[in-house]
Amino acid sequence: MDVLVQILSSGLTLGAMYAISTIGLALVYGSLNMLNMSHGALLALGGYVCLYAMTSLGLPAVAGVAVAMVACGIAGLLIYYLAARPMLASRNFETQIFIATIGIGAVLENIILRTFGPQPVAQPLNLTGAVVVGGVHIPHQNILILAVSVLMMIVVALLLNRTRTGRAIRATAQNRDAAQLMGIRIGRVYAQVLAISGALAAVSGVMISSLSGLLPNMGGDPMLKAFVICVVAGLGNVYGAAGVAIALGLLEAIIQYVFGVQYSFAILLLIVIAVLIWRPAGLFGRAQVVRL
Amino acid sequence: MTAALELAGVSSGYGAHLVIRDVSLSIAEGTLAALIGPNGHGKTTLLRTISGLVPARTGSILLHGQPIGRLRPDEIVAAGIIHVPQGDLLFPDMTVLENLRMGAYLHDAARVEQQRLEEVFALLPKLKERRNQVASTLSGGERRMAGIGRGLMAGGKVLMLDEPSLGLAPIVIDQIYGVIETLRTSGRTIVIVEENATRIAEMADALHLLDNGSFAWSGTGAQLMSSPEILSAYLGG
Repeated sequence: MDVLVQILSSGLTLGAMYAISTIGLALVYGSLNMLNMSHGALLALGGYVCLYAMTSLGLPAVAGVAVAMVACGIAGLLIYYLAARPMLASRNFETQIFIATIGIGAVLENIILRTFGPQPVAQPLNLTGAVVVGGVHIPHQNILILAVSVLMMIVVALLLNRTRTGRAIRATAQNRDAAQLMGIRIGRVYAQVLAISGALAAVSGVMISSLSGLLPNMGGDPMLKAFVICVVAGLGNVYGAAGVAIALGLLEAIIQYVFGVQYSFAILLLIVIAVLIWRPAGLFGRAQVVRL
Repeated sequence: MTAALELAGVSSGYGAHLVIRDVSLSIAEGTLAALIGPNGHGKTTLLRTISGLVPARTGSILLHGQPIGRLRPDEIVAAGIIHVPQGDLLFPDMTVLENLRMGAYLHDAARVEQQRLEEVFALLPKLKERRNQVASTLSGGERRMAGIGRGLMAGGKVLMLDEPSLGLAPIVIDQIYGVIETLRTSGRTIVIVEENATRIAEMADALHLLDNGSFAWSGTGAQLMSSPEILSAYLGG
């Protein structure tokens, strides 16, 4: 029983954390067919901006997260206007933007390194204490992460389903040409999606760093996992990505408990390979539509 | 009287390849014009150029005298051009109702959404029956109706239909053409791309034959039917 609570607690925390960084990636891929390789750097940027806002500016935690969301949202907008938009008309957009965002990620990481230094720093947004369930300590921080993630997922779902902007995003993701024929200005949709994805990356970065500390290259591992989750769910599928993120988080917790931490990523990748052999377009993906 | 739609010297294409070359065309208000001709000769590209999905390289496009050739696709929709694309291009994960509502996305159309919805349901009662069904599960004929209905939700001055009979059973084609006939009596300007020239010849006020990216012949249905050389050269008749 205690083991179950332990696995649930750490698995849901992991999964929730993965979910919000993955949703951002899935939104961007779904709308623009763009794999944003600078997502990891945006996670780190969010974490560091929150640190800066809370320590140097003395802002409270909520304001720190808000400042981080705004900063990363603006970074997302800049990525769209300076990199993605000039390449959109190109036949090889997917390859070009993939490589361009690797470069942007490296630049961002180096800016962070120059500004904050290479030494690990603790994220000031960190609750202490724990709830005891049976014989298991569940840290308040884990509960906070879970709550914030669920809140973010609800906000994104409401945005997509209940607002005019959300309808435009969904229409663009489902059929770009048709969206334009409905009068949707898809350039604006792309910009909005990258801004939203940036803001989500900030929240995710703050939460990841509250557990494992801040490092300029802290985003690499979570980004890789987010890509894995996106691929398993089917690229561009937002709800699938959220579900798979939670499932993989739980699975990772089980693997860590049974086999040990060092095996978790290897086994995760094996599962991904198996899924892709079974369903090449991902669990909830459909075969790629040929663009004319 | 100004034409509803007027093209002068329009060229467009993809990459280095020009599909439409120096095309001029005038469509009078309230008439039904048909673009006919063999496959792959630019009919679809011409519609995509008018709606802005493919930018015009040269020439001018006027809608009721207003230039629209340099506008973005969303601005062209707002100006009053409705393009029901080939293959319907529905939003597959949305229901029929959500698809229809997307048609009224622009603010002007959104204000009269409920009224338009009732008009569309009156014209295409099958859509009312299927309104909560996800678009990807519709039959071919239902999909076509949803595509046309979604276009009508925007209102618009000129309705462009790209191959409304493509891939449908004869009985469904009759239904679709019945709907088009009704739309026509409502005074709309309609442009139809149609492979089946003899079918559309009875109905259209003017036919324009597109061959290798340019107009090779224009005339009425009666003129087409009495031109065996055109029929045999281009339309396999």
